[in-house]
Amino acid sequence: MAFPLPRGIIASEIAFLAEMETVTIVPRQRLEGLELLGGPVEPLIPPRRASLPLWLALLLKRQRRANIMPPPWLHPDSLSLILEVESQHQDYKNAFSPPPPLPGQPSIRDQGLAPTARPQYTLDGNRYYAAPPFLPQNTAQTAVSSRDPPALPYHWVEVGNMLLDAASDDLVDPDQIRRLLKDLREVRMAKMRSGVDVLDDAAIGGGGVALTGVGAMELGEERGFLSGVVDGLRKIGASKEQARREQLAEQRANGGYDGTQDEEEDYMEF
Amino acid sequence: MDIDDILASVDRGPGASPESAALDHQQLTRFWIAERAVSEVLPWPAPLMERMMDRVRIQIETIEDLAASSADTVSNSNTSHNPNLNLRLSILQTDLARTQYILRSLLRARLAKLTKHSMHYLVQLASRNKNPLSSASQSQSQSSTNPNTTPEDSVPDISALVDTAPLSGPETSFVHAHQTLLAGHYGGSFLGAFPPQLRRLDDNAGGTSMVQGPETREVVFVRCLGAEVPVFVDGEDGEQDVGVVMRMGDVWVVRWEGVRRAWERGEVELL
Repeated sequence: MAFPLPRGIIASEIAFLAEMETVTIVPRQRLEGLELLGGPVEPLIPPRRASLPLWLALLLKRQRRANIMPPPWLHPDSLSLILEVESQHQDYKNAFSPPPPLPGQPSIRDQGLAPTARPQYTLDGNRYYAAPPFLPQNTAQTAVSSRDPPALPYHWVEVGNMLLDAASDDLVDPDQIRRLLKDLREVRMAKMRSGVDVLDDAAIGGGGVALTGVGAMELGEERGFLSGVVDGLRKIGASKEQARREQLAEQRANGGYDGTQDEEEDYMEF
Repeated sequence: MDIDDILASVDRGPGASPESAALDHQQLTRFWIAERAVSEVLPWPAPLMERMMDRVRIQIETIEDLAASSADTVSNSNTSHNPNLNLRLSILQTDLARTQYILRSLLRARLAKLTKHSMHYLVQLASRNKNPLSSASQSQSQSSTNPNTTPEDSVPDISALVDTAPLSGPETSFVHAHQTLLAGHYGGSFLGAFPPQLRRLDDNAGGTSMVQGPETREVVFVRCLGAEVPVFVDGEDGEQDVGVVMRMGDVWVVRWEGVRRAWERGEVELL
């Protein structure tokens, strides 16, 4: 038994990933810069803000060496706004509220623009598009730079709960935040459950079901159920799919055959 | 990060710059998630893994040096020399442990898939690197009803392999040794009592191969990173019908075979 875990990352691994999100801290003591395997860490000079991975920020916070600046979405105002969109807005009756845009993706406000993906290049020369947890979706921003409406980042459940556990004194009204996070989770979980009806679409070749805006932990919770249902549906529909595929192949073959037949008819007439 | 940074990070060569460390770390993390999410073994990213192993080795040396110097300061009873030394050490060790965790989990996930479908991967490797000599000997052994046929005979010989993709070198020898042991065990425990023609482990009588591979039609969760990525109906080459089209930033539940190509191009990310 080399590996006992099921396919797809589990909850503890998702939390581990969420700890790679970058957050903003205000250090209370100096610390020279470090070369970590996860990338360089800038020198800490109080009271200058610094951006660190969440695990490091929590380590410093627990030792009272730093304060964490909460991300803009983890604020009662932002959360109640998102909750309102999530529960009242007509467009999002059956969908999750839109996630923060990826780099190069137009924000919600200018929908007309076409997205332009901006790849980086890896050391092997391949294209690399950054994605959560390696985007600055949880760093504190100045009011000017945050033109976009607040949105829940991919790791919102984990980051929110970790900050509530370890750094509740740095948050604005933590009790209210805790309540709002719980409400949001319930609203979104209900949407996830109601979406089971359309899962049949993912069971056919080339089909799929969109879950845009879903959070990592929500995905982790439903992963086993969703993939189990879809795989079950796929097995039930396998013979039908095989028949359809053969029919398509036959049509293609017939198309070719019809062509030659026409030629033969022409030849006969001649 | 703009184009200058990218050029700079490429110019400095492997393992040199801190920016490339961050990029490699992100790639490794993404590859680990992908390996955990799909049912088949993904192509082994040899250059990336070599760089990561080098970095881990260098980091361990750095930590040892730091620990040694901290021991010196204690013996000199000069604790005020560097008050942050212990903090730095603990940060470096935490970071190292996190990276090693990813590497271990990745390798163990691959080993689990390899042991589950070992015959499938051996047959795949052997058929891709087929030379006329080995195939002739194989067909000979299959046609002759040699009464001394053992299950080990059906384990493909991969000793002369050069290209071991999608496995790494050590993984290839592991899977071969594993399958040989397994075949020997089967032979000793029950297959030896069977008629010789039923002792093979790669029988495809009746048009059905008894070698089971991973199911590539299982669904995976992906995030679309390119501007627009189509999902293909069939995973194989040739005429491909396009199903739904994913847009940038979307999260979809789709079949793995339909997005495999896009994943290889880096346009989708497995979740």
